[in-house]
Amino acid sequence: MTSTSSTSAFDDRRPISMSFRHSQSGRPDSPHTPQHHLRSNNSSFASTSSASTSFRGEEDAIIFEFGARWLRAGFEGESTPMCVVGCGPEESRRVGDYRGWLRSNETDSSRSQPVKADEWAGAYELWKMDVRDMDMALIDDKIERMFRETYNKYLLTDAGTSRLVLVLPSIMPHPLLSSLLSTLFSRWRFPSITLLTSAPMAVVAAGLRSGLVVDIGWAETIVSGIYEYREMAVKRSTRAMKSLLQETGRFLTRLSDDSGAAQSADEISVHYELCEEIASRFLWCKPKAASHGSTATPQQQPAEAREEHSGAADQHTTSHSDATVSLPSPSGSGSTYIDLPFSKLAEPVEKVLFAEGLADCELDDEEKPLPLLVYHALLSLPPDVRGTCMSRIIFIGGGSNIPGVRQRILQDVAFLVEKYGWSPVRGKVIEQQRQKLESLRLSQPTKPTVTKQEDENETPDAAAARSTPDAQAEEEIDPIEQKIRRNNKDKDTHPPVQGVLREVESLGPWAGASLLTSLKVRGLVEIEREKYLQHGLAGASRDLEHGHAPDRRSGLRTGGDRSSWTLAGWG
Amino acid sequence: MSRPFPYTFISCPCANIPVPDPAKKRRSRESPQKSHPDQPKSLLRPDDDEDEQAFDPRSPRANFSLYPPEQLLYCEDCHQIKCPRCITEEIVCWYCPNCLFETPSSMVRSEGNRCARNCFNCPICTAPLGVNTLENVVTGGTSQQGPWVLSCGYCMWSTLDIGIKFDKPTNIRTQLSKMTEVTPARSRQMSRTFGDLKSPLSTYSSIDEQFLPPGETKPEDPPLDQPSAPLTPDARFHALKNFYKNQISATSSSPTDPLGMDFGSGFSSPGALNRIMSLYTSSSRLSSLYGGANKKPKTKPPVMREALTASEGLKIPSPDAEDTLIERMSSPDCGWDGLASIEQRAFQSPDARFVEDLLPLPVLLRTKRSKRCKSCKHILVKPELKPQSTRFRIRLIALSYIPLPTLRPLNPSPSPATTTTTTVLPAPSSSTTNPNLDALSPLRPIQLLLTLKNHMFDPVRVTLATPSVTPGRVASKVTILCPQFDIGANSDVWDEALQGTSATTTTATSTGTDPRGSRSGGLGVYEKVAEAGKVWDKGRNWTTVVLEVVPGTLPGGAKQTSSAHNTKKDKKKKKAPADDDLDDQDDNSDDDDSDSDPGFDWSGQTSDPNEQLQPDEDVLEIPVFVHMEWDSDNQIDSEQGVGRAGAGGSDTVKRELAYWMVLGVGRIVREIV
Repeated sequence: MTSTSSTSAFDDRRPISMSFRHSQSGRPDSPHTPQHHLRSNNSSFASTSSASTSFRGEEDAIIFEFGARWLRAGFEGESTPMCVVGCGPEESRRVGDYRGWLRSNETDSSRSQPVKADEWAGAYELWKMDVRDMDMALIDDKIERMFRETYNKYLLTDAGTSRLVLVLPSIMPHPLLSSLLSTLFSRWRFPSITLLTSAPMAVVAAGLRSGLVVDIGWAETIVSGIYEYREMAVKRSTRAMKSLLQETGRFLTRLSDDSGAAQSADEISVHYELCEEIASRFLWCKPKAASHGSTATPQQQPAEAREEHSGAADQHTTSHSDATVSLPSPSGSGSTYIDLPFSKLAEPVEKVLFAEGLADCELDDEEKPLPLLVYHALLSLPPDVRGTCMSRIIFIGGGSNIPGVRQRILQDVAFLVEKYGWSPVRGKVIEQQRQKLESLRLSQPTKPTVTKQEDENETPDAAAARSTPDAQAEEEIDPIEQKIRRNNKDKDTHPPVQGVLREVESLGPWAGASLLTSLKVRGLVEIEREKYLQHGLAGASRDLEHGHAPDRRSGLRTGGDRSSWTLAGWG
Repeated sequence: MSRPFPYTFISCPCANIPVPDPAKKRRSRESPQKSHPDQPKSLLRPDDDEDEQAFDPRSPRANFSLYPPEQLLYCEDCHQIKCPRCITEEIVCWYCPNCLFETPSSMVRSEGNRCARNCFNCPICTAPLGVNTLENVVTGGTSQQGPWVLSCGYCMWSTLDIGIKFDKPTNIRTQLSKMTEVTPARSRQMSRTFGDLKSPLSTYSSIDEQFLPPGETKPEDPPLDQPSAPLTPDARFHALKNFYKNQISATSSSPTDPLGMDFGSGFSSPGALNRIMSLYTSSSRLSSLYGGANKKPKTKPPVMREALTASEGLKIPSPDAEDTLIERMSSPDCGWDGLASIEQRAFQSPDARFVEDLLPLPVLLRTKRSKRCKSCKHILVKPELKPQSTRFRIRLIALSYIPLPTLRPLNPSPSPATTTTTTVLPAPSSSTTNPNLDALSPLRPIQLLLTLKNHMFDPVRVTLATPSVTPGRVASKVTILCPQFDIGANSDVWDEALQGTSATTTTATSTGTDPRGSRSGGLGVYEKVAEAGKVWDKGRNWTTVVLEVVPGTLPGGAKQTSSAHNTKKDKKKKKAPADDDLDDQDDNSDDDDSDSDPGFDWSGQTSDPNEQLQPDEDVLEIPVFVHMEWDSDNQIDSEQGVGRAGAGGSDTVKRELAYWMVLGVGRIVREIV
């Protein structure tokens, strides 16, 4: 089977099936030739029989994933993006300004003034979600330059000839979205731009249909519960990489000048690049310590297994807590190094992402620590969905690369679940009642311990193996479940894993979008050039019932006629 | 800053044209009270300088519109400067910058936009790697050469550090990718790993080979290979892709379809052929199309399931994976240098965290691109096809249309310049020391010579304009002594030689001869004093005028030396910009200038406690608006000029061009000497 024939098969499929849809909606029974519709309807990517044009029409889409800091770009069907481009001050210099290359002799002189933590990190971000004091024209400029350089340096293809797929966070301010689309459409001749949300894409790239996506991003951590590719619940917290870097910067600033104690706490005098370098190399996160559990609230009947495990973890920790690492001195010129206990480098993570040393009541709604955020997100999901999602936790975003963070979050969530169960109600009276109940049912094996144990010492197949008896137990209870299972016996023999905390690794939103696009699944939000240029974002139909739900099963693009387009969730 | 002082930048006028937001049209129609005051205006006439505010070289947007003059292009049809933003590019050829081999366009993608030969960059320091042999034993007549490695001549890294040797000195890329791809995925079928190395196009074929008919349930890979070898991200991706394809084809072809078993399998598209074949066969085509909506319970389609095993791309990380990472990070033999930096990791596999994980990177290809004007699609640049050639077939660079600005300091008149000359361009007639442009002392006027050199064959009349005070907190006063002048045509050099050194005769074709331009260039340089309203010097196709600049004081200039009262004195010294004149030689000598400071535009900001200097705020940059007019011959751009000139049929067309340019003069120092 040659590749050309398979691509042309792709080609033929879409127009014909679409035309069927039209004929179906009009007169269900009368047969007619679909040619007319084919020609009139989608001229932009219609394929004729000629092989060359069909190949041209099927030119690989280019996928861009936009974040607040990085832009990932590459072709559909590839596993990793071609490049990751930032937009720091170095990238927004004038053309012909080669200062970045002369950095070596400049470092000593320019490291001087402490900078406010916000500006310190703000120079490196493409946009903020707070658009009130943002210069949209500047963002246009940045986007334009990033795109142009990405095409010229890395993608090495002509800009604007092929479809564009953008992976965006599920909530975008309209000015930003409009600025982005207007820039792209007016600068280049992209025939159409498809928007995809990042969280479901991460689920796709994990090979799942549902999951809880924990995106430890730049400005905020977003926990979204995805069920059957749909976002069910989204929780956000400002505890994310930006504040982590700022905290690391403060930490290094304190290290670098002991004299500058009088300095206001919010100012950072370390180079941002150095700080980020240190953060990306050496920041790590301790596993959940037993001491932490005891300080927070003494828990009543901690399972022995857990104790043991955390004890072991403690030994781990102690084994490398006395290790020292040497970092390039943040205070000055390149060649000097300072020695630092390795355990010190876990402190910013603990403090920022896990709100170490802060009581729950002191935290605002938007700054919940990550485990609590995950717990709340799970809590807000319906029980069925929760069961599915909690055993498919996916970590994406820059913060998920910090070693130890994932395990720590899972451990903390397990602890929360064990402590509170799935109930949002808190309080002393409730606690007492719960204790009474607990003591009543102590005689029989408790469910939470099972959950927790599985979480603790689980290996990939062990989890699957363990879930089987669970499911069988359910089967006896639920006759309908049983029947379904019986009917589907030939299809899939594996009952889905659910109810246990489990992490699944994803290849990331970019790869998900690449996967989806290469499978010729069309997004619901597909903005065509001409239509956008007529009215801009305002031209999107606000009708959320626009078209049909995308037919994921068959991967067909549905949605009736494309005379109107929608922004779906972004609208 | 960006370049050695003095320098010039030109701002492309396209920056004033905002990105047309189509939504604005509608929005303003809906709510007329919410108007956009300046945007429509600049849309209509971007060159309009009346109520447009002065260009601010320090605004963050300016960085995106300023270009060195030599980087700009010029469109002869639009008569406009073209920057990289207002052109579209088309790739002419792809080549490796290291070996200069051209890569055919069909191969570029499949090779991952990187050189497929032996060109590699060091993963540590990005220097090019060389192919070296480990042993060079000469036995008899034939030299027995041992295994080969890639090694970096700069940082001494070699592939031995990651345990890779090559059997042959050629085709290193294929050898390397075999090694790196096969090892982790050895448990998988070999055919797939080769497919992974190639393009998605070729993976279609390799996937198809192992595509299973949807009727048979896919035999799950035995889970015993699961823990043995985790897939690389790339292999996982392809496993996932395979899995989804299987699922899509399995779920979308209905069992009632008579042909599904036979034909649906061969295509990677879900049941594409089924539909085509069943088009005219039976009524089952509707059921095959609308399997989901079908009422018959029998044909209820199976729902696409999720990936269940590692061979389908599912990856459940083991809980101690991160612990081992931490362990490794903290171990003393790793250290700072054992961990890869962000820059090193940029193009590596996402899992690479340690220096040992880094692989040599094939050199990224480069392209030769032809450039077209974005608005009229005319070709501006067209390079030769061959990568080795540096010639261009078409190249319309802006400097052959707009005057080339150069700036140099004029020797200071009697005032003692104690600063030493360092990197300043030597003025041709230097008799005394030049002012150090890297350390301009505030409030001491300097005179600069701005030379505009015309490259067109028509004389040009130029009008310069500049805000009297540079924008920003460091307000320097700028005066152009002669803002309006002519530049002669770029005629034959011999004309000038034959007609003597006087430049005025060559401007005979110009309609309005400037009486001020009659000064001859050669004499009187030493005695000459800059006069207002007079051109400093003039040649065949160039004219020099004098700029007088009084550098402003930096906010918080004396902060480091002492206290706030000192800065107050600095502020006092600064006069209101309006009442300044050329003779401010004296007012920087006496500090007790009684002028209060009402005229400051930055006085509010200096009272800020945060008086720090922003980066590059001390660089003295002067925005200058250039407006040029000339009568162009129709012969030069005949086909366009005919259309323009219309029925009149006159052989000259009046043209004008306007743009902002930025003159970088120097860096202002804090203290006053």
